[in-house]
Order: sequence, then C-alpha cells, then structure tokens
Amino acid sequence: MKAIEVRNLDFSYDKERMVVDKATFSIEKGTYTTIIGHNGSGKSTIAKLLLGLLEKAGGEIYIDGMELTLENLPKIRNRIGIVFQNPDNQFIGSTVRDDIAFGLENHCVPQEQMDGIIEEYAARVNMSDFLESEPTKLSGGQKQRVAIASVLAMNLNIIVFDEATSMLDPSGKRDINRLIKQLHKEREITIISITHDIEEVAQSDNVIVVENGRIAMTGTPKEIFRNEKVMVKMQLDIPFVYKVKKELQKKGIRVSDTLSMERMAEEICQSVLKN
Amino acid sequence: MKNITLGQYIPLDSFFHRLDPRSKICAMVAMMIAVFIPAGFIGYALIGAILIMCVFISRLQVDFIIKAMKPMIFMMIFLFVVNIFVVKSGTLLVSFWIFNIYSGAIIETLYIVIRLLLMIMITTLLTATTKPMDLTLGLEHLMGPLEKIKVPTHDIAMMVALALRFIPTLIEEADRILKAQASRGVDLENGTLREKINAILSLIVPMFVSCFQRADDLADAMEARGYAVGAPRVRYKKLAFTAGDYIVIIGANLVLLAVIAIKIWVIK
Amino acid sequence: MSICFEKLSHEYSPGTPFAFLALKDINLTFAEGKMTAIIGATGSGKTTLVQHLNGLLLPTEGRVTVNDHVIEAGKKYPKIKDLRKGVGLVFQFAENQLFEETIIKDVSFGPKNFGATEEEARERAVRSLKIVGITEDMFEKSPLELSGGQKRRVAIAGILAMRPRILVLDEPTAGLDPQGAANMMELFKRINKENGITVLIVTHNMEHVLDYCDEVVVLGKGRLLMQTDISTFFENEEYMKKAGIDPPSIVRFKRFLKEKGLELPADVLSIEELAAEIAGRYRR
Repeated sequence: MKAIEVRNLDFSYDKERMVVDKATFSIEKGTYTTIIGHNGSGKSTIAKLLLGLLEKAGGEIYIDGMELTLENLPKIRNRIGIVFQNPDNQFIGSTVRDDIAFGLENHCVPQEQMDGIIEEYAARVNMSDFLESEPTKLSGGQKQRVAIASVLAMNLNIIVFDEATSMLDPSGKRDINRLIKQLHKEREITIISITHDIEEVAQSDNVIVVENGRIAMTGTPKEIFRNEKVMVKMQLDIPFVYKVKKELQKKGIRVSDTLSMERMAEEICQSVLKN
Repeated sequence: MKNITLGQYIPLDSFFHRLDPRSKICAMVAMMIAVFIPAGFIGYALIGAILIMCVFISRLQVDFIIKAMKPMIFMMIFLFVVNIFVVKSGTLLVSFWIFNIYSGAIIETLYIVIRLLLMIMITTLLTATTKPMDLTLGLEHLMGPLEKIKVPTHDIAMMVALALRFIPTLIEEADRILKAQASRGVDLENGTLREKINAILSLIVPMFVSCFQRADDLADAMEARGYAVGAPRVRYKKLAFTAGDYIVIIGANLVLLAVIAIKIWVIK
Repeated sequence: MSICFEKLSHEYSPGTPFAFLALKDINLTFAEGKMTAIIGATGSGKTTLVQHLNGLLLPTEGRVTVNDHVIEAGKKYPKIKDLRKGVGLVFQFAENQLFEETIIKDVSFGPKNFGATEEEARERAVRSLKIVGITEDMFEKSPLELSGGQKRRVAIAGILAMRPRILVLDEPTAGLDPQGAANMMELFKRINKENGITVLIVTHNMEHVLDYCDEVVVLGKGRLLMQTDISTFFENEEYMKKAGIDPPSIVRFKRFLKEKGLELPADVLSIEELAAEIAGRYRR
C-alpha cells in the first residue's frame, strides 16, 4: 500500500525556472525514506507541496490514496504532518503544553481528552518535566522534540522531517535521530526525512535524490552510494565507509559492500590477521 | 531590556494567581473607576489599604511592586514643578524669588501622584498574577459579544497571543543583529545625521526581513497543524468561575460603591 | 598580533536574579597565524568568549589583550572602534545582517564605517567578494536574491573588507549542505594560509576540526578544559572523552579496528593514511 504517490509534480514561483520539474515517486506505508540533494534543489518545496502549503502548478499528489485537492485539504492534514527546520518558528504555544494543544484544538479533539493526549505524547518525546516551560527556556533539541510530540499527538500516519536537525547541536541531533529511529521501529508511521546527514541516509530504507527540481535517482542507500559517478557528479557526500572502501580499492584491496563501520572493520581485521 | 518589572508575570501560587482572568479584569476595571472618583484622601486610603492587602494575598514581594513604581518618580517631580506654577489655590505656604508655593499645589500633586501609584499597583497586581496568554484569553471571552457585530475577536486574540509569544525571541534576535552590526563598525552615538540614519537602517532592515521570514514559517507551521482562519476549533483552556472569582468581583464593586458613598456623604 | 585572556570571567546581568556566570577564570593565549577551533557543548561559553575579542562584551573580571588593546574589567575602553577594525567577527547565520540594496554596497558598509573613502571601500569590497567567490555580474544585485549559501558568503566578504588581522567565525557552516560547508571551510583555510590571518572558529563539526584546524580549545561549563594541537587531541582517547565530543568517523573506525584486534598508530588521521597503513599490513 502506498502512503504517498506523486506523479509529474510541477511547481514554480515565477514561471521562469521550474523549482519542481515533473517529479514522480512513491513511498510505501511504514517505510523510512530520506530525500537528499543540495540546498536549493527543491527538496523543501516538495515537502511543502505534499502538505498542500504551496499550490502545485501541475501533476497529482495522493496521500494515503486520497488526492490532494483544495477541498480535501482538511482531511489530508489529518494524515500527514511536518516538522520544520527552525525550532523557534514552529513553536506556536506559549508553553510546551499549549503548543501540543494547538494542533488538537484545530482538529477539534474533545476538550476533556486533551490533557491525557498532551501528557501521553510529551512523555513519548521525554518532555514530561517541561510541560509548563516557555520556549525561551528550552534548547533547540527540546523544541524540536516538542514539535514532534505536537505532530504525533494529531494521530497522523505520515510525518515529514524537513531538515529537522540541521539547526541543532550534536546532542540535539542525536536526540532527534534516535526518536526518528524509534518511530520507524514501531512501523506505524511513514517517515520522510529531508536531510544532509549522510549517516542518517545510510539508516533509511529508501533514498530519493533530488537535483534541480527533478528526481535524479531513487533506491536503497546501498544502491545510491554504489552509483559513485552520479554521487561525484552531483557533489553529494558519501558515507565514511564508502570513502574507505574507495581508498582501499586504489591500493588493490577489495572489501564487501556494507554501510556499517563495525562490519567493515571486522572484515579487514579478519583478512589482515589471517595473513 | 530584561529587567523591566512593569507588566511582568511572576509565577507563584496564590489565591490571585488561581483566579479566572475575566474576574481579575472586571475587578481591575471597577478599581480603576474607583481611583478616578475624587473621594479625597479618605477614599484613597481605603483603596490603598485594600490593595496592600491584595499584594499580601498575591504573595508578591513588596519591593517588586515598589520597583514597578520607580519609573514614576520622574513623572511625579515633573508634575510637582508644573503644579507649583499653575495652581494658585489654598494658602500661600512658602514664597521665595519667583516661586509662590500654595497648599493647593501640594494637594493637587499628591492627588495625582497617589492616583498614579494606585493605578500602577492595580495593573501590576493583574499582570504579575496572570500569564499574558490567560490575559488574552480572558479579554477574548469578555469581548465575545462583539462577534455579533462581526468583530473577529478570536483572530485578534490569536494575533495578540502570537505577538506575546514572539517578543522574547525577537528581543534576542535584535540583540544579535545589534552586535553583528556593531562588529561592522556601526556606531549609533557618533557620526553625521546620514551615517546615523544608515546605522539605524542596518538594524531595522534585517529585523524586518527576519520578522517576515518568521511570519512565513509560522504561517506554514500553523497551517500544517490544521489551523485555518474561520474554521471551527475546540478551545483547550476552559475558563470557569469559582467562588473566589465571585468574591473578587463583588469585593471590587463594593470598594467602588464605598468610594462613591464617601464622595457623596463625607467629602460633599 | 596576539590574543591573550588573563583570569577572565564574564557574568551576565550581575546583581539581578538572572545573574549567570558564563565564563570562569579563563587563561588562554591564541597563537598568531593559526587556525584554531573552539569547541564545547552548547552553553559552555564559546560565543561569550569570542564576543570579548572585539569588545562586544567586556570582562567582569580579569582582562583580555587583543593586538595592542588591553581591556580590563570595570574600566571603560575608549578605543573600541579601533579594536573592532582589527577583529572581524562573523556571527552565526551571518546572512541575517545584510541590509543594503546591492551586494557591493553592503560589503562596502564595514570599511566605510571604519573611515575608508567611497572608492577605497568599493575597491576592498570587490576584492573581498572575489575571495569568497561572488562573481562581478552579481555585484549590483540585491542580497535578498541570493541563495542561503551565497548570502552567507556576501556577509563574510563584508567582514573581510574591513581587512581584519583576526577573523572570528561563530558556527559559520551551520545550516549549509555538506559540499557548501566544505567549500566554506576551504575558503577559511585559504584566507588563513595566504594572508596569514589568525582564524578562530566556533564549531560543533569534528570532521571540520580534524581536517582544517591547527589547534583546538575546549570549553566546558564556562571553564577552559584544554588547549592543544589537533593531532594530539585526536590521538588521545582521554582528551576526547574529557571534551565530551563525538569523535570524527576515522577515530571511531579505528576504535572498531582496535576492538577486533588491529591497532593502528595514533597519528593515522586521514583516509589515505588509513588505507596505506591497512594495505601495508596486508602485505606483511
């Protein structure tokens, strides 16, 4: 079953340059997909189009089998949510509690149930002790956790992360990545993450590479990273293990295809120690 | 900028903190009217005594209230000086050089000063015990009847709430831009008029750009979470009157009546 | 041209309930002409430290010496503008400071504030823009038309045009894509090497610290934890542990190799060296 299906999606701000150009892709339910590409390649625009925050110029978008149209918009937003890049600009409430409540208010959740839901999802992102805190008292990572709780609380099936960790420090990044991985494990939510973090890409099920508004490549992380020519041409980062593999190849040493540092280290050690 | 006490919320747990914002607003209005009734020193003493009692009930520190009044000192001196020249009623108390100080001047000044101080006490009591968001919510409810004449009270309240939410964020931002431009040699104190205008522009333009960017992001975030202007919403915060709220409203109106009574029968 | 902190402490809003001691007893000297990374967890005082270098913040205790300027706690410093001329401070998300109608005007803004004539300022702006890789056809465009990465380059050019002897960068690559970030780091390295400018970089990116910097200063909770050269830092597990950082990939990879029984020399810190070392072992 497809969570998202996009066919020939077009978008442009000024009609001169296509920001999104005939993009076609689909995403299976319950999977974890990363979207990579340079800043300005059109990744974030695609994300906004999926949420109906921008109006497409052409093509079709299906969310959970339902076509995205102006009339369907409220229903679509019951299925798909988004966590943006800037932690400050998406904190709507005056406290953590109010921020999680905001989405519930809009979705007309009965008032008596709100407190229970708020507390449940705050606990899920480990923010129970900060329910009454104001945004200025929270770190960037904590604010993003609240944003995730706010989206989860609306009981959606698809979450888009639009560079959600790019403005965070290493510990904030780790926190959010761990949370995303945990969500993926539960398999109930389809995750789409726009990211520059190549190690995060390595952990996803599928990768979509975007360049100049076009879908340049799709596949599993291994398939993508193996396609060295394209990666180099597009100047995209490759994971550390692939860099090592490439360098070893130059010295005439072949190692098998893996995304795990540990497995590669094991293989090298076995052959070295055998000699 | 972070040390302004006027209008600041102080998170404590007191009878006043727990009250419904609507009753606090109503009580404030009643007390304000009472302050403006010229009931002489007896009236002011009554209001003052009640307010001091309220300060203790609210558990606010007395020096917090005093700090809130401090900015008024300059105002008071100014008023006093003006009154010395303007008011020529009562008996002549002191006379030297061109100054003739009448008792009327002193009494007039005292009246205004006391009135101002009482007003500051009342507003501080309200703002220090009520979160800005609750205040907005209370105002929205009180303005509710205006919806009938097509005043979008809910949208107005949402705008005020968002503005309040972003004030600290924007203060931080302004501080950052100020420092960034200072690093580029911006000097707001010295230089020609043209240089000064340019210096101010170097602060204002980035603030505008950043505000628009934030507003854009915020609009996206709100829309993505299902907010639509005019769409039905369920309110999370329910306001509910308790016995305490009725006591406060009745109490404030009793004070108002008492002051009116003093005006009619005691001062004449 | 040296930078020296002596017993420096900085407290925000002293004497109020919001008082916060952000830096405690810092004794530190930055060597001239080097590229130094300043690292530490969020809230460790990195930004507070660098804002002392051009007098945006003044010490509440101790003193800081930058070039010939000595700023002591509790004393007003009259020549602050002269100090700022010699120290270029690039803020986090520096693109937010652009405000003029054209790129060239914005870059000339700094030099003009420091007393350069119109022609001088323009000439310096042109040169700085070329250094950061903004081509001439863009000079008359509005900075708002540029992409995020280009905007940041223009903002950096605006600082370079002041001709500082010391360049301080507060998380200059935050929010850029990996290629953009690497290009940016190469730019700083070039400025450091070719012009002999002392570069200080506040960063969280350990790969950048390892690949581009000469020295590292580690702060923790407002205190100086250590100051050492890059290879010593990344060769010592205890140092990295004390600094509380996520080591760069190569260090993590070497840890795995060691666990599985292959220990490589501590000074192997690049992929080429690593591959050569492993290849050597294969042949033995």
